[in-house]
Amino acid sequence: MNRRVSLPPWVGRLLACLGGSVVLAMMVGKQQGSKDDYGLAFREAVLNPRIFYFLLVGVLVFLGITYQDVVRRYAGRPGVRPLLAGVLILLASYFLMKWYDPLGDGKLATFGAAVTSTPAVAPVARIFFGWLWWVGLLVTAAATAAAIVWRLRWLAWASAAVSVLVGAIAVAAHSLAVSFAGGIDHSFGAQTALIGNLVLAGAGVVAAMSRVETARTREFVERVMAFRPGLPLVAMGVVLGVLALVAATWFDPGGKNLTLVDTQHLFAGSALSGVASAYLAWLGYAVFAVVVVLAATAVWTAQKTLGYVAAGGAVVAILVTLATLHDISATATKAGYPGSAGEWQNLGTGGWVLCIALFSAGAGGLIAARRAPVIAPEPALARGSGALGRLHQVGTSTTLLSLTLFGVGLALFYPPTATAFWQQALVTDIGVYVLLAIGLNVVIGWAGLLDLGYIAFYALGSYTTAYFTGSLPVQPPIHLSPLWAIPVAIAVCLIAGVVLGGPTLRLRGDYLAIVTLGFGEIIRIIAVNNPGDFTNGPRGVARAVPHPVIDLGFIRFEWGGSQLQYWYLLLVLLALVFLLFWRLEGSRLGRAWAAVREDEVAAQATGVNTTRVKLLAFAIGASTSGLAGVFFASQVGYFNPQNFILNNSILVVAFVVFGGMGSLTGAIAGAAVLTWLPDFLRDQVPSEDRIMWIGAVLIVMMIFRPAGLIPARRRKAELTGLAGHDPSVDQDLRAVPAGEGV
Amino acid sequence: MSDFLNYLILGITRGSMYALIALGYTLVYGVLQLINFAHSEVFMSGAFGSYLVVHAIVGNGQGVSGLGAVFVIIAGLLSGAITGAAVAFLLERVAYRPLRRRGAPKLAFLISAIGASFFLAQLFGKMFNRLGQNQFPTYFDANKVLFTIAGAPVRLLQVIIIVAALLLMFFLDRLVSGTKLGRSIRATAEDAPTAALMGVDIDRTISRTFIIGGALAGAAGFLFGTAFVFTNTMGFIPGIKAFAAAVLGGIGNIRGAMIGGLLLGIAENLIPTAPWVSTAWIGIQWTDVVAFVILILILVFRPTGILGERLGRAA
Repeated sequence: MNRRVSLPPWVGRLLACLGGSVVLAMMVGKQQGSKDDYGLAFREAVLNPRIFYFLLVGVLVFLGITYQDVVRRYAGRPGVRPLLAGVLILLASYFLMKWYDPLGDGKLATFGAAVTSTPAVAPVARIFFGWLWWVGLLVTAAATAAAIVWRLRWLAWASAAVSVLVGAIAVAAHSLAVSFAGGIDHSFGAQTALIGNLVLAGAGVVAAMSRVETARTREFVERVMAFRPGLPLVAMGVVLGVLALVAATWFDPGGKNLTLVDTQHLFAGSALSGVASAYLAWLGYAVFAVVVVLAATAVWTAQKTLGYVAAGGAVVAILVTLATLHDISATATKAGYPGSAGEWQNLGTGGWVLCIALFSAGAGGLIAARRAPVIAPEPALARGSGALGRLHQVGTSTTLLSLTLFGVGLALFYPPTATAFWQQALVTDIGVYVLLAIGLNVVIGWAGLLDLGYIAFYALGSYTTAYFTGSLPVQPPIHLSPLWAIPVAIAVCLIAGVVLGGPTLRLRGDYLAIVTLGFGEIIRIIAVNNPGDFTNGPRGVARAVPHPVIDLGFIRFEWGGSQLQYWYLLLVLLALVFLLFWRLEGSRLGRAWAAVREDEVAAQATGVNTTRVKLLAFAIGASTSGLAGVFFASQVGYFNPQNFILNNSILVVAFVVFGGMGSLTGAIAGAAVLTWLPDFLRDQVPSEDRIMWIGAVLIVMMIFRPAGLIPARRRKAELTGLAGHDPSVDQDLRAVPAGEGV
Repeated sequence: MSDFLNYLILGITRGSMYALIALGYTLVYGVLQLINFAHSEVFMSGAFGSYLVVHAIVGNGQGVSGLGAVFVIIAGLLSGAITGAAVAFLLERVAYRPLRRRGAPKLAFLISAIGASFFLAQLFGKMFNRLGQNQFPTYFDANKVLFTIAGAPVRLLQVIIIVAALLLMFFLDRLVSGTKLGRSIRATAEDAPTAALMGVDIDRTISRTFIIGGALAGAAGFLFGTAFVFTNTMGFIPGIKAFAAAVLGGIGNIRGAMIGGLLLGIAENLIPTAPWVSTAWIGIQWTDVVAFVILILILVFRPTGILGERLGRAA
């Protein structure tokens, strides 16, 4: 132990970086070992020439760490972050996105090769796909970087202009090539390239306009958002709405792609109701204009009443739009128009995008109404004490609120335009896990208890539903519809949570993790082993669990026609649970959870009944999981114990942690992103590898951003409040992860 | 009676492998008060590492003489131990040390450990065969009956496993109670800040603790792979049971882990597979449930385990 070989520190660092790149090389790619030749995967990963790319990345990281002072000096300059973002988006448009659907893998490389080898295509497209994409990226990125480093204002402006030009050419070249090739194309490659180029141009503009030494991105964004709260949302609404009204497809029977004007021509003189035909002719434009003008005025003048009026107007406009959309599809079907397939079918994106736009504008008005009188604090105060100024805004970030509202708009009106695959993925992969993550957030994020058997309650909920709907071999005393099974399943899970939690919650946190894990496995093994022929064993339920039905005598609605119906049912459930938990967070109980999480002894000393409080968190989490189980069971119909393996429990934990422990929006965002990503990347990353990537993400997250994607508001407030306006203290505190007292 | 002995021997065989893995949990818990969730993947990596070496030596297992087989087994144990040690060392460096430097809360460690566990299991799955029931080449007659106790046969492989496990545990016991490294491990477990003041290099001690625990688990991986089959997800169940064994003996307590491992192995073999109690007994498909129920019962009724939970004092 006395012999210490002391290498210079950079040697170890270099080795670590190179080792990391070898591991990365093994992680990336489709190679897999086989039974006959175990060395195959290793050779493929490590001895191929492609290893040099990875080693290069490793060396770059090494250089970045070694010269981090220099790097940081330049990386802090205004414009660097948009520059990196733009380059990343452009690379994504090359490597990830499709440019042309009918063609094989449809990536830019393939499509570009096809275009350049066809002399008859317009020269712009051939040039773009031939070399302009790469050259444009290299030139603009290099020029912007040079402009940032040497502070060359003219160069920044010039590269911004070139970026915009290249982006425009990308869209033009793509549409030329597609119109030449024909076929239906819904790819986003060109649009992604445009966005990337616009972000690059933004980097140039920022570099040219900025007069300060270091970038203050967050402050800048907050300032823009706070300038007129709600303005970005209204602007977004205007852009989307104009696109929807002018360019998008509204009705598309048999691939006709009719815009709003075409639709009006099509339905001229048909049996369309008065409102709908008026809508197609002028009412649509009118309501949009009215809502936008109202919202914009409300936002600009910060008028409370006007904001509410705008929001109300948006709701009315959305309802009218929906009625029209329904009328179009119903009338076309009734008239036997060729290609029309029934109510709510054959609708293009136009109507739904207009709904999103109206929602966005209305939300802008709403924000303006809620945030009315905060217009730019006195300049002296604002400039003098930025931290103090920020302190007042803690917890009321307009940016986050705007993003959330826009997300709600997307959740409401985007799914109808999605493909069947994505609708399926939205309900089965994303939606259910969002619900689970919200529930687990109570247990992990608020009460600080690590529950690794969360899926067990989901299984209990599912099997309870299956039992009471008569889908198991053992028949229940009374048959219930799945909707009526919800309270029963919640009760069962509550009881199970209390029974499991009662004796174990007194234990240390890491023991609790193991006990819950064991419980999860016990439940699964019981389901597999099928005692008393109750669960029907590994084959899963005996008969399909029926779909939920609402039957009020005069109105009867049965789910199951399409995934969309389940999506909206799920949205209602999510909204209810979200509202409940949102109120709970600030309640007496929520504060007791926070106290227990931060310091159990202190909480007990101040009179919190810690065991009861923890038990409540555990049981509430369990019942949410049970609710998700009911939904899952009735949505899929058939399920088996394989749906409740431990991996799923840990995935939910990963979602909560990734999103930000203790933050409701964070849990939703974490689950949505992490479930969406594998589906999105399903062509790039083999599906079996997604657990591997999620594991890597968890480690990296814990090292670099332990508070998660959207850190919890309460914690942020605590930290910023403590920090006062001493930036160094603030830095230190930000390095400290959100403290959980497990 | 011979059935009973049969299952007892099976239980001891399994139990000694659990004990080897449990030692890793207990050692790390002793110095860090942290459940090393990824330890089961260290165990798994040992099986794959030793397979590569054994396969390279014996090919498909034809024509290995008796003495050669002994040599191969030792090589397998060593290579498993080395792989396990290397993986455990890297694990500590990548997934735990950065968090420790920043004084992260325990939940962060646990989540990082879970991430590492997933990452390792799936990376090995990607590199090697993901689903296959991989088996070591048969280079000796593992099922040869050496002798019988009251009608219960004792097979060669069982003897190898038990002897190897006992030897390794003996060495570990000597290491922890007799050497300078062992003393610094115990000192760190007892009171890390004071140990640091007394000149113990905490970082180095923790790193070496991981290496020792990893080596034991890697060797257990070789034994387990030789006895059964090995896959990239093989670590989970034995890992959980070894953890249960560590808790049963008193986590943080080295001798406790050995005893706990043996007891758990015996219990889970005797309780569910016991026609010697009655014919209508529950059956082997409940083995895992028995282990988990034992774990939960211990945690609820005697969370400090059989021998109590101090590494510093008990070893």
